Amino acid sequence: MRIKIDHLKCTGCKLCEVVCSLQHTEAVNLWRSRIRVFITEDYCLPVIGGPYTEAMCNSKDVVFVEGKEIDGCVVCRASCPAKSIFKEPDTAIPLKCDFCGDPPDPQCVAWCDADALTICD
Amino acid sequence: MFGWKGKMLRVDLSRRNCSVEETPSDLIRDYMGGRGAGVKILFDEIDPRIDPLGPENKLIFATGPLVGTGVPAGGRYIVVSKSPLSGAIANPCCGGYFGPNLKFAGYDLLIIEGKSPEPVYLFIRNDVVEIRSADQLWGKWATETERLLRAEMSEDFDEWELNNMSIVTIGPAGENLVKFACIMSDGGRAAGRSGLGAVMGSKNLKGLAVSGTGEVKIADVDGFKKAVMDFFEEGRANETLEKRRRWGTWSLPGRANKTGTQAALNFQSGYFEPFTKFEDPDFIRDSIRVRDEACFGCPFACSKRSRIEDLAYPGTTKGPEHESMALLGSNCGIGDLDDIYRANYLCNELGMDTISAGAIISCAMELFEKGYLPEKDIGYPLSFGSNESMFQLMRKTALREDFGDLLAEGGDALAQKYGHPELFMGIKGMGMPAWHPQGIEVIGLQYATNNVGGCHTKATLPFYEGRKDPKHHVRLTKQDQDYIAVVDSSVLCWIIYHGPLWGEKLLSWLQITTGIDYTENDLSLIGERIWNLERIFNLKAGISKKDDRLPKRITDEPRVKNQVVHLDRMLPEYYKFRGWDENGIPTPEKLQQLGLEKEGAGL
Ligand code: SF4
Ligand code: SF4
Ligand code: SF4
Repeated sequence: MRIKIDHLKCTGCKLCEVVCSLQHTEAVNLWRSRIRVFITEDYCLPVIGGPYTEAMCNSKDVVFVEGKEIDGCVVCRASCPAKSIFKEPDTAIPLKCDFCGDPPDPQCVAWCDADALTICD
Repeated sequence: MFGWKGKMLRVDLSRRNCSVEETPSDLIRDYMGGRGAGVKILFDEIDPRIDPLGPENKLIFATGPLVGTGVPAGGRYIVVSKSPLSGAIANPCCGGYFGPNLKFAGYDLLIIEGKSPEPVYLFIRNDVVEIRSADQLWGKWATETERLLRAEMSEDFDEWELNNMSIVTIGPAGENLVKFACIMSDGGRAAGRSGLGAVMGSKNLKGLAVSGTGEVKIADVDGFKKAVMDFFEEGRANETLEKRRRWGTWSLPGRANKTGTQAALNFQSGYFEPFTKFEDPDFIRDSIRVRDEACFGCPFACSKRSRIEDLAYPGTTKGPEHESMALLGSNCGIGDLDDIYRANYLCNELGMDTISAGAIISCAMELFEKGYLPEKDIGYPLSFGSNESMFQLMRKTALREDFGDLLAEGGDALAQKYGHPELFMGIKGMGMPAWHPQGIEVIGLQYATNNVGGCHTKATLPFYEGRKDPKHHVRLTKQDQDYIAVVDSSVLCWIIYHGPLWGEKLLSWLQITTGIDYTENDLSLIGERIWNLERIFNLKAGISKKDDRLPKRITDEPRVKNQVVHLDRMLPEYYKFRGWDENGIPTPEKLQQLGLEKEGAGL
């Protein structure tokens, strides 16, 4: 089971960020969310926090999404020194999606009223 | 503290001084936040008679207890100031991400005062506040300003933080003190009516950049989560909201036109033939929509980002919303969707209110067609439907060049100069929005008594059962005005939370989020207090009964459904129902009931 992202359905409402931070910190704080949404004119890109990497990687590059140039670090899930997201703002401890527990109960999926986030096997 | 942050930021541009103050607890208790807190601070700190474009005027960016909590459709902000267009209180509302960002940075309110000697922008990142030079940005269009600001800051922040940051700007119209200039944010969103872009311009303040990484606390987290899930379900089952989700306000132009309530040809009619094609709103959606764009925390994403294939209009913009389509389209005799898009795009980029711009240009068109406004004054013909002339005039207005300099002064100035003040369809100097009041009479009362002028967002649009019965006009107008005052102070989105549809929701969101046991009575008292304080502000600014009127065309000339609006009948009743005397001045009893004796002294 995993979370499937359909970025073309994403409206940029950030409710997934709200609920993820509520789930893990009991307050609304987007910078403590394990999912973040990057907004562009043409679409929004939800990115879910993945593994922690100690160093910046060498694959830093430009990628194309729907024909538009995007900095590769934006779509990369890693919590790495090169970017500000997926780190506790105060301590810089890396944040990683826990699928909201065991068994999985992903809150972000439940709060994505636009169905950009769904569960698939 | 739950909901509120408990702090407000004050920036004095004259002295280049920033200070953080506690949000006073009685301000929260009596006025909630947002629009209510804004008018209270403004009333206490300025003389209502000042020149709105002078350094004494203040500009208050206000959020409320629900902003940034993730309450569905609770991500908006209000700007409160004295309007250069009407001379009255101003409180336009805007969506996007700015309001939540200000909260996450730690502030309920941002108060801007004084005047900078040279162009500046304000940078706020949590407790770091800087006044920075904006020389390089002066003269730039709105989206370009946003882009340049992000580029300038790209050395200090990575892509993610830049993306998360909210930028508020004014376009050339604001810089040039066009009286209906608006404040733009998040790529095409506007705090539109009342001309507060010019107030920013008068302070030499080109923009704000706000990045917040802090938190907002909620009193009952579990109750909140459950309530949001329930809300989603209710939303799905609600047909009106499902329409909003798909079309935003695009389902309205066709519908209003079909029922004969669409502003057309400077309100000479309620119907415009070329708009029949919009009866299928998918026509608009399929032609120009890029994506659905939510405000922070909104599951409905009613805003539509749009684009056309025309290199002279690069990029995307937001809208055009129904009101813009009406005023820039049918009301100016323009029926082509691409042309309406162009006009909307120009307004957004130049930083002018679409509704006011449309109202003024349509007035000029009628003056021209009737022969009162000679072509030599404009430089080109300007009949209804002249698209190119209209685009040209918009640019000239924003830059105050040639004939545009007069338009920049507002519709009353234009119509008076050519000897026909009755041809500007405005209220308190502000152009009327899309719904023709002769089609729905109660709207006429709402417009005429609106503290900010001809604006549709300060009472509920009367599409519900029982709202067309004249018996209820006065009671419903007061009730809705007071209710929306609390919506605007919380701050929720007016579009979702208007009418009996969601009334009780406001109460429960406030209880769950703040942990305070509000009652319905508390809220209606707060709402009424806000409305009355705004009225007192206006009275002290010299705006009174004589200004609670509608254009003659609406009250005397039956243009739609062979009806006129009987304002003369409704107004005295309304005053009485509000507890005001026959001159529309709150009685001592009313003032005492609302705790406004001090504010209302000397009226
Ligand atoms: S599954 Fe849970 S932890 Fe993972 S991103 Fe979604 S809400 Fe956050
Ligand atoms: S909740 Fe869904 S639609 Fe909203 S920002 Fe997250 S992924 Fe996008
Ligand atoms: S309904 Fe529209 S304007 Fe209101 S909050 Fe949602 S997206 Fe924004």
